[in-house]
Formats: sequence, C-alpha cells, structure tokens
Amino acid sequence: MIYLKDIKKSFNQQPVLKGINLKIGKGEVVTILGPSGSGKTTLLRCLNFLEKPDEGIVQVGDVQVESKKATKREILSLRRQSAMVFQHYNLFAHKTVLENVMEGLIVTKKYKKAEAKRESELLLEKVGLGDKHNYFPSQLSGGQQQRVGIARALALNPEVILFDEPTSALDPELVGEVLSVIKAIAQEGITMVIVTHEMSFAKEVSDRVLFMDRGVIVEEGSPLEIFNAPKEERTRQFLNRISRDFSVSFLEERAN
Amino acid sequence: MTIDILFIWTAFKEIIKALPITLILTILPLLAGFIIGLAVALIRIYKVKFLCRVANVYVSFFRGTPIIMHIMLIYFGFPLLIDQISKKFDLGIQSNSIPIILFVLTALSLSAGAYLSEIFRSGIISVSNGQMEAAYSVGMNSFQAMTRIVLPQAIAQSIPNFTNIFIGFLHTSSIAFIVSQKEMTGAANIVASTNLKFLESFIAAGLIYWGLTIIAEGLSFLIEKKATAYNRGGVQ
Repeated sequence: MIYLKDIKKSFNQQPVLKGINLKIGKGEVVTILGPSGSGKTTLLRCLNFLEKPDEGIVQVGDVQVESKKATKREILSLRRQSAMVFQHYNLFAHKTVLENVMEGLIVTKKYKKAEAKRESELLLEKVGLGDKHNYFPSQLSGGQQQRVGIARALALNPEVILFDEPTSALDPELVGEVLSVIKAIAQEGITMVIVTHEMSFAKEVSDRVLFMDRGVIVEEGSPLEIFNAPKEERTRQFLNRISRDFSVSFLEERAN
Repeated sequence: MTIDILFIWTAFKEIIKALPITLILTILPLLAGFIIGLAVALIRIYKVKFLCRVANVYVSFFRGTPIIMHIMLIYFGFPLLIDQISKKFDLGIQSNSIPIILFVLTALSLSAGAYLSEIFRSGIISVSNGQMEAAYSVGMNSFQAMTRIVLPQAIAQSIPNFTNIFIGFLHTSSIAFIVSQKEMTGAANIVASTNLKFLESFIAAGLIYWGLTIIAEGLSFLIEKKATAYNRGGVQ
C-alpha cells in the first residue's frame, strides 16, 4: 500500500531524513510522533513529493517513484494517490466552501459539475458543515476551515490521507471537533498517516505508532506498546517530557 | 490678462473630439502590456532558462528609462530597422507608410508590459505558497494550480495597482504629441495656439483628464469590492 525504501533528505547539507524504511498496509492508521525537528513532517511531505527526497523509493497505491529519476508525470500520478490535510488548512481563499471540496473532483477526477456538487454536499454534511456551502474560508473559524480541508481530502477518495499536524494551529477549544471528525473517518477503514502532538488522540485512533527522532524511526509499535512500555530510552524521555508538560500546565491553570 | 471662462467650454468641446485617440493610446497598450507583463512575470518567477535573463534586462531597461525616450527610440529607430530589413529581403515595405500611431502604441505597450510584470509578480507572490501545495495535493499540475488557484487571487489583489497604472498611462498618453500624434493634450495645444488662449484650453483639457480619472477610480472601487469579497471575512 505505502512502501518507502531508504528515503534520505537534506536541507542545505543538513540531513533531515537519514534513510527511512516503512511499510503501511491498507486501512492502517499510523501516527508519527517525535520532537520538533525530528523529520516527521518532512517524511509526510515526501509521501506526496511536496518535498522531493534526495534518495530512495516512494510507493503509494500502485504508483512507484524512484526519487532520483522522478519525472513530472510520475510525481503527478503519485500525488493523485493521496490527499493531504495541512496544519494551516491551506483552503483556496477565493473559492467557497463547496467549491473548495468540488475543485479536486472537477480538475483531477473529471466529474461533471452537478455530480461534483452532489458528492461535495454529502461530504460537507458528514463533517458537519452542511449549512456553510456558500461561505468563504475567511468567514469560518479555524476548526470549521480544517473540517473543510478534511472534506476536500475525502472527496478525492484517495488511497491514503496524510494529516500534517491537523490541530496544531487551532484554538484548544476547537481541537475536539476536528479530532472527532478524523476519528469518525478512521473507523471507515481509510488508510491514514497522521503527524500529531495530541497524545491521547494518537493513543485512541492509531493502529500503529512511529516514534521519530533526528531523522530516523527510533521505535514503532502498537499504541499500547509505545505509550505503556517504550523500549527505547529516547522514546521514554520524549513521552515523559510531554506528560510532565501536561501536568505542569494543568497545575498552572489551577494556580491561576 | 483676463480669463475667458466661456472659452473653456468652447475648448472643451474641441478637445474632447480627441478623446478616442487618447483612449486608444491608453487601453491598447495596457491590454498588450497585460499579456507581456503576465508572461514576463511567470518567466521571472519560474526562472526559465535564458528567457529569464532577457526578461530581467527588459524590465530593468523599460522601468529604468522614461517613457518619452521609448517613444523617441522606437519612432526614430524602428523605421531605420524596417527599411534595412525590407531592402535586404526585398519586402517592399516603406517605413513612412506606417502610421505614427503604431510606433507610439508599440512603445507604450512595451513600457506597460514592464510595469505590469512587476505588478503581476507581486500579486502572484502574495498568494500563500500553502495554497499552491494544496493544489498539488489534490492532484493539479503546475499549470492548473497557477490558472485556477493562484492567478485569480493575484489579479484580484492587484486591482488597485492596475488602476494606478491605468491612470498613469492615461496621463502618459499625452506625450504622444511630441511625435505629432494628436491626442487630447495635442488638441489642447492646437486650440490654445490658434486662439491664443492657453490657460483656458489647458484648464479644459485638465478637467477632461480629471473626470476620466474619477470615473476610472469609481469603476475600480466597484470591481475591487466584488472581486475581493472572499478576503474580507465576516459572516454573510
């Protein structure tokens, strides 16, 4: 389904990914955790060549691309295997909510307009925005915008949906609505790769958790294994730090 | 010296006859410049090999020299070139049979292209890179992403700048008179010198230019309001 072989990527001679090998099966929900700068987002962006790996093989669905020899056409067909939900939503600002969802259907799936509209309306209903068809992104809250982003990704009916920190830019009170939509679609058996900092969400939603640090996958396993019995020292440190942050911020709130 | 208020109206009626020429000298160069400017901006943004350098020199030269000089260079330079080429290939074209207005239009179009290219470039850059990435992520190619996502926003954002250029070129068209193309300023000059009423004639011409500018600003405001409605937030 997804197959990565020896993916390497550097920015200005600074290695960010140091040879990533990974296989993800159909219907699997995989979350990638790790400290900032560990290469999680870069890895995710290599999956649809928004970042071109320096070396290695990327396969999504039945499209395989060798990074060094990748042609424009190969990259395009690789991208059409996946859809992405962005940290900053990246909705098309001049298009309404409905048009945002329809865009991919019309341009890449060659749907007729009426058909695309019907399909998009159903999806917007599903993410709870059935009443916002004619709003522009600038008229919505962050949580609503991100749900449009999710509907836009779902519309493509891709082999895999890539989530790049989908809740990191949201106000804390809006995180819940977005996570519950993601949980709902995870249960439908769509393959998903999620980069996130929401630990309890990762625990709940994923079939497999990867922990990355300094450009390598340090440890992987079921959520139970990673969160309750991490084998690697670095994973333990990371989880400890995160849980300490949680309790500290909780105490601070109490104090205030 | 007294001012003859009534003559302003007489001059006004005479000068406004040259309005079509002024409009032609404004609108046609801007339309041509629109295409040149867009092409040049894209070439410079995508750093197309070789063409990119040509585009850089073009923009640098035409923005770095006065428009009056472009008109002069083309008015005096092109006939020479055309006659040489015509003689060499035996085409039988004579430069003095080419209407003057074509030289002026060429010069103004090239200037407009250079100025507009920078407006396009800033408009395109102002659209967030994230939207381009989102377009790629839904499977668009670069051309589709540019024409469907980036350019509509870039152009909508650039409307105030286009208006600026329009107004600038409306007024710049007056220098066509130096190569005896009779547009409004030229007409004002002729009315003024035949009647020896300079102040009145130029007041009349000034009023026409000002009126046209006010109309352009009003139109621009309405178009901008409609075209950038998406960007203003708030609930409908």
